Amino acid sequence: MIEIENLTKRFDQVQALSGLSLTAQDGRVTGLIGPNGAGKTTAFRIVYGLLTPDMGCARVDGVNVAQDRMQAQRQLGVLPDVRGLYPRLSAREHIRYFGQLHGAHGAALEADIDELVTRLGMSDFADRLAKGFSRGQELKVALGRALVHRPHNLILDEPTNGLDVMSSRAVRELIAEMKAEGHCILISSHIMSEVSLLCDDLVIVAEGRTVASGTPDELRAETGADDLEEVFVRILARASSKAKAAQ
Amino acid sequence: MSEKTSNGWLRRVWIVLKKELRDHSRDRRSLMLALIYPMLGPLLVAGGLVLAGKTLQGDFREHAVTVSAVGIERAPQLKTYLENNNVRFSAAPPTRQAQEDAVREGRLAVVLIVPQSADGQGAFTIELLTNTGRVDNLRVTARLSAIVRSFNDHIADQKALAAGLPAGYATTVKIERTNVARDANIAVFFYNMVPPLVIFMIFLGGVHLAIDTTVGERERGSLEPLLLAPVERWVLLLAKALAALAFTAVTTVVNLAAFRVFMGLAASSSERLVAPPGWDVFAVIFAVTVPLMAIAVALQMSVAVITRSMKEAQIYLGLLPLVPALPGMVMVFSPMNPTDVTVAVPVLGQMLLINQLVGEQSLDPQHVLIAALTTTLSAALIFLLAAKWFRREKMFVLG
Repeated sequence: MIEIENLTKRFDQVQALSGLSLTAQDGRVTGLIGPNGAGKTTAFRIVYGLLTPDMGCARVDGVNVAQDRMQAQRQLGVLPDVRGLYPRLSAREHIRYFGQLHGAHGAALEADIDELVTRLGMSDFADRLAKGFSRGQELKVALGRALVHRPHNLILDEPTNGLDVMSSRAVRELIAEMKAEGHCILISSHIMSEVSLLCDDLVIVAEGRTVASGTPDELRAETGADDLEEVFVRILARASSKAKAAQ
Repeated sequence: MSEKTSNGWLRRVWIVLKKELRDHSRDRRSLMLALIYPMLGPLLVAGGLVLAGKTLQGDFREHAVTVSAVGIERAPQLKTYLENNNVRFSAAPPTRQAQEDAVREGRLAVVLIVPQSADGQGAFTIELLTNTGRVDNLRVTARLSAIVRSFNDHIADQKALAAGLPAGYATTVKIERTNVARDANIAVFFYNMVPPLVIFMIFLGGVHLAIDTTVGERERGSLEPLLLAPVERWVLLLAKALAALAFTAVTTVVNLAAFRVFMGLAASSSERLVAPPGWDVFAVIFAVTVPLMAIAVALQMSVAVITRSMKEAQIYLGLLPLVPALPGMVMVFSPMNPTDVTVAVPVLGQMLLINQLVGEQSLDPQHVLIAALTTTLSAALIFLLAAKWFRREKMFVLG
């Protein structure tokens, strides 16, 4: 389970987060959605220990990230928006490297790598250097890297960004499988059709704070809109009006 | 589930180090810096040594020298004396201006002018048109002057004998020069260029790796996924620094070996050039430079982690090797003796020790210890600073 409590973070003149709170439950897919600059990436970076919040805290399976970053990271698998592969390492070497950094080794690690190569459909390019990989291939390697230590919690930042139809479908199927296995999955996406297909819970953020949360059906009922994109637009408009009224 | 181990920090250092070494052994730029660049300096020095050996070394008197002369037929005795001393004559340009231009431009080494007033009997003055800005001209001029002085002594002796006086009567003091310097002087001058060039390569060898594994990783976006692994930040930086150190060590080995081989070949091209120091001396030079490699890598890492882009890092780190190499170049011309104080200055200490080794002098163990301690300690402090900067949020957040 991933818990975010009243997170506040400021970068010089920019207030990135202003008391963001959310909970992502086990066995469910929670979607964090919001306009560009709403604070989604900053919140993720605090959860996976890259940034320290000015106030508030993030917990992964009850472990306070700021107090025990490495323990929280052991229980977390992350697919960042920027895939960031090493061009001179093969797909298999990427996964092995990150498996080793998580403490795995030997025949068991090799078996896990083989399983991931098969599960993610990487057999054709597993031993090729990453230079020249397509976006779909890059994503698969990044996913393999995030899953090799079998984390209970997953953070997926724009998991289908730039992928073709078949690759997007494969990723959605993988997320559904992980959910069925009881993993806690927190995703961010700008693609409302994908959010609609994948997410059990939604958290809508704007200007660094939570402006609405609930299941897609609850949010539809709350706004009176059927289409999730329309739900999103109405909630943002309402939040903006409230902010202006408060000023 | 994979087997888990205690996975201590040393094991994590080894995992990251191994990855960086594998990654960069596949990188053409890293390999060029480690294996090809270190041969260029030694090749240049050895080439210079061969040329200098041919130009400046050897017994000059054995070689004929050609001098352009004007009016030499007016001084037949002098002409014969010069010819007997291996001087040959060629026609000089017709005008004074053309003669001066030819010497100034290096087409002629020297022009010897015998005045029209000379009758070959009484005293007369000869003029030498020379160009002191050219080493080859200087040598011809010096040789010609020496032969003319010798001619004067010869004539004076003849006149003294004819007058019933002892030889040397007209020359109270004669000078006989005995050169005790080895003919290898010029070779030693070239060998003194080794320390600054070795130090230059030490500060260059791991630079690409230092940049690529820090600010380069940030630019490519691979640093963020790496920092998601449960690894201490200082462990990551230490492993990357060790990888840069390994490449620097390989660069230094190639550089020193190339110096020994190429300079040895150059020295063997002339019997009069002394051989460079032996392989044992070069092995000691390598050992002495280990703390220097550490401080070079620490400086590279600290600059790389505070710069905002690879380009910026390349600019700063491209200049870095010049800073320690410049005092070394100065010492080629103006040597400094090591003392307890001077060897305690990081980098300078190693430079002085390498200078001593190249000059085949024995090292004072106390100096070696002081230099190693102060430079290693400085490297550790600089690395700690780099590790502190590496923890900054700005270091690993893109955009």
